[in-house]
Amino acid sequence: MADLDDIIHQPLRLKIMAALNALPASAGLEFSKLKKLTGATDGNLGAHIETLSKAGYVAVDKAFVGKKPQTTVTATAAGRGAFARHVAYLKEIIEAAGPEM
Amino acid sequence: MTGIDAKQAASALSDIESIAKRVRQSRIYNLASLMLILWGALTFVGYLATYLSPRNAGYAWPAVYIAGIAGSFAISASGYARTRTRSFDVRAFMALLLFIAFGIFVSWFGHFTPRQLGTFWPIYFMLVYVIAGLWVGYAFVAIGVCIIALTLIGYFFVGDAFDLWMAFVNGGGLILGGLWMRRS
Repeated sequence: MADLDDIIHQPLRLKIMAALNALPASAGLEFSKLKKLTGATDGNLGAHIETLSKAGYVAVDKAFVGKKPQTTVTATAAGRGAFARHVAYLKEIIEAAGPEM
Repeated sequence: MTGIDAKQAASALSDIESIAKRVRQSRIYNLASLMLILWGALTFVGYLATYLSPRNAGYAWPAVYIAGIAGSFAISASGYARTRTRSFDVRAFMALLLFIAFGIFVSWFGHFTPRQLGTFWPIYFMLVYVIAGLWVGYAFVAIGVCIIALTLIGYFFVGDAFDLWMAFVNGGGLILGGLWMRRS
């Protein structure tokens, strides 16, 4: 049985990883877009992205578009793998619970 | 390590599916928005040219389509570098050609008046928006239905300024729709 990934399991981090995982490999999402999708505040989102980044699950790219700073977050291969294992773990739990769930 | 029960697992999977759906829709809107703005601007020019010089409408509209197709390829190429997704490719081009060919076929058999032609084409195009929108996002349905309704209002109630009306309704409508999609 797959294991629960404590880093991904946190609700906001799960949303971040789900959003990034829905993109093609190497494509990322801007911070503002992630904020809109997850409904998180700037500080909260930044802190959780930092946690995912430290775990090697996301890459954070900061650049200037014109004069505006733009932060883009991309799921790494390790992050995609961890997310897939976490989803498999969730499905196994549901299957193990059987049809009465 | 924290254990979770089946109910929590189901809730987490539902959250994942919900956000993935929103991301996919947002990407479709983002890719489509520039196309809408491009075609809106070109359609605006096409109708304005038809209004100002009806005799040259036969030259204006092929030019609009050629510029639109070239622009669509350019937008797609530029978007591919960022998103790894092509919004307009050879298959889309072939589909558009077939779609236009069928429209020409219907127009030819229908012996439409210029005013009827100016009504038929936007309704024909917007019908595709409405049908596609049922699968890819209701913004397309809203844009299509609004433009169809305003086109019909123009056909029945706007007099000689019909082409000018259509420049704003069809061209302006697509531009506004594209801007709206970029924000959603």
